[in-house]
Amino acid sequence: MLGKLDLSAIPLSQPIPLITSFVVILIAVAVLILITAKGWWPYLWHEWITSVDHKRIGVMYCLLGVVMLIRGFADAIMMRTHQALAIDAPGYLPPEHYDQVFTAHGTIMILFGAMPLVLGFMNFLVPLQLGVRDVAFPTFNSVGFWLTASGALLVNVSLFVGEFARTGWLPYPPLSETTYTPGVGVDYYLWAVQISGVGTLITGINIVTTVLKMRCPGMSFLRMPVFCWTALASCMLIVATFPILSATLAMLTLDRYLGWHYFTNTAGGNPMMFVNLVWAWGHPEVYILVLPAFGIFSEIFSTFSGKPLFGYRSMVAATLFICIVSMMVWLHHFFTMGAGPAVNTFFGISSSIIAVGTGVKIYNWIFTMYGGRVRFEVPMLWSMGFIFTFIIGGLTGVLLAIPPADFVTHNSMFLVAHFHNVIIGGVVFGIFAGLEFWFPKAFGFRLHEGWGKVAFWFAFIGFWVTFTPLYVLGLLGMTRRLQHINIEAWRPWLYISVIGVGILILGVISQVMQLVVSIRDRETLRDVTGDPWDGRSLEWATPSPPPFFNFAVMPNVEGEEAYWGIKLRAVETQQLSPEPKYEPIHMPVNSPVGFFTAFFTTVFGFAMVWYIWWLASVALVAAFVGFVVFAWRDIHEFEVPIEQVASVDRARRAAREALLEKLTRQEVLP
Amino acid sequence: MSNLESDPHLYTGVLDDREDHAPGDAPEESAGHWVRNANIGLGFSIVLTVASFLLAGSNAIYAPAIPVALIVLAIAQMGVHLVFFLHITTGPDNTNNILALAFGTLVVFLIVVGSIWIMANLSDNMMPTGQLMQMQR
Repeated sequence: MLGKLDLSAIPLSQPIPLITSFVVILIAVAVLILITAKGWWPYLWHEWITSVDHKRIGVMYCLLGVVMLIRGFADAIMMRTHQALAIDAPGYLPPEHYDQVFTAHGTIMILFGAMPLVLGFMNFLVPLQLGVRDVAFPTFNSVGFWLTASGALLVNVSLFVGEFARTGWLPYPPLSETTYTPGVGVDYYLWAVQISGVGTLITGINIVTTVLKMRCPGMSFLRMPVFCWTALASCMLIVATFPILSATLAMLTLDRYLGWHYFTNTAGGNPMMFVNLVWAWGHPEVYILVLPAFGIFSEIFSTFSGKPLFGYRSMVAATLFICIVSMMVWLHHFFTMGAGPAVNTFFGISSSIIAVGTGVKIYNWIFTMYGGRVRFEVPMLWSMGFIFTFIIGGLTGVLLAIPPADFVTHNSMFLVAHFHNVIIGGVVFGIFAGLEFWFPKAFGFRLHEGWGKVAFWFAFIGFWVTFTPLYVLGLLGMTRRLQHINIEAWRPWLYISVIGVGILILGVISQVMQLVVSIRDRETLRDVTGDPWDGRSLEWATPSPPPFFNFAVMPNVEGEEAYWGIKLRAVETQQLSPEPKYEPIHMPVNSPVGFFTAFFTTVFGFAMVWYIWWLASVALVAAFVGFVVFAWRDIHEFEVPIEQVASVDRARRAAREALLEKLTRQEVLP
Repeated sequence: MSNLESDPHLYTGVLDDREDHAPGDAPEESAGHWVRNANIGLGFSIVLTVASFLLAGSNAIYAPAIPVALIVLAIAQMGVHLVFFLHITTGPDNTNNILALAFGTLVVFLIVVGSIWIMANLSDNMMPTGQLMQMQR
């Protein structure tokens, strides 16, 4: 009836997961009671859960990502402190638990922390920057988000029911085969990543179609903001490589569930094929994450330098260059697996060449600041911190790209330090810069500047204090993922690293404080104009927060930096463009199909993990029925009446009149 | 501060004939044309499929040339599918589709050829996995 599931699945003998689970369950119950008591369910259901508005979905993606970042950070704190306490001592995490912690940390940070945040930015921004009202497939978009949330939920359920994988964030066979890992940990991993991978693929298809087919009049490819280019490149990589991940995990699933032999040692299987295939996805994956971050930095550098982006076309070319070459370097993750010099040399050189594209971008950002009127606001601090951090991370990467050097540093703490250097310095700094930059657009008020600066400095210093010792440890010969340490010489470096984690914790607290203080003072931080940073692309032409239809009339783009051009013209002529003729707008209706499907895929995943076959079949059928019912619906659009469109847009125009007067008075513009 | 008074759904500029269309905004294709197109495609693909089955079992052509002939027929089959079912044409409205196809082909080429090269190189350089496991014991 319940498959392998029984009471022994609850970790009663392990205090850390048990207490954590109870705290999480208590918080969840408290939130649910609060929502019920306040009567917020109808609002949540109609405005958020069933919403097909790309901005709402983007915000929900970011919320999911932030919560998962905190979960992943908790794992990181445990690993650093455990290693510091495990030098010639037992530490406080038993091996089977420690292995789950580092696996969960990697899986959660990449797939459920960084990915949702990056996808959230793309969802929120791409339609606004392209001057359109929604993504190409709004309901599909909602399905994609909820499938990602479903995967995240499954990973977190594993904390309380059963266990998570102990294999590392990429479950290499033969360790991940049933022979060596008979438990449910790898199964949780497989179904969680498989379900959320489908969601990511859906969003990727959506964004590619949106960018290719839905730009507003005049928005030719070479007038798109760089963020849209990077989103396009990133989503092309999603569409190209996520199917590889799905297929590879499906093969491992067949090995585990039906006793097949794709990746086993025996019966003709080949574990190295898994390593090869999973990195054919895994390397493009890091560019899927970092390309949109490059887009965010591009927007911020040009806005806060008061200049157009230097070398726009070379930026586009570098983005597409990285997009293609990122699929030709994957072997550098396993130089030591035994390939001959020809193969290793080819992939070593291609890995070094990809740094050229990134180098072009770095110079473009620096030249954008050169000669500009640079404003050192919080998004700009994150961006400048990124340049410094990312250059060092990139240089250690080029070092690792040399096969002989890689033979020394492979799987060492040097590697750990390198990829945290580029992922934190590139992706996470980009996400924080972007959150700071677009928060007023999404919610209508700015974040508190003082706390933002404090958070940046703690994060920046904390990062370097944590990870510089790891570089040293790597060169001293420490390998990654050690549960027990018996070399006295490593002690001081491990201790320094823990101090760095302490500084990072202060940074996280500052971020939370920033949010709390900003919500408290939201009236004084209110953005009434819709253009709080003197922006240059079309999202700043809308009010903050934008109406659900984004634009009352479609913008007509006449050059690069669409909104900057409109603003310049308004200042020159001392008036706004004449009031347009409003027309009714057609918008897609909300749909519960995404939530419905994801609910049943979660049940399906859980049932598959525990071998509850009847439940799995029922859930799969139910999820499919949801789609069929959706396909048969008759009404999929509703009309926004002219009066509503006009009143929203007239309010926006009134705010713009005030902004225009202010701009003219201050002569902010040349 | 926008000044164009139209919805993209109503936009009927000259560009409309040449540029790409948003999903759902493509000009209506007549049902007759659509059916005729699909039927021609179906006819071609049946002919090609039957031809390859017949060829494989016959001695109409020089036997060692049969694999090559099958490959030619398979590629022709792909072409028929692309043109008649996926509507890939040389028209200006198809730039995106052609580019997407080219990108997809490139990715498949890189992954498949790269994997074959890597795995073949591994087997050349290493003893078989089973033997290796024996040695470790």
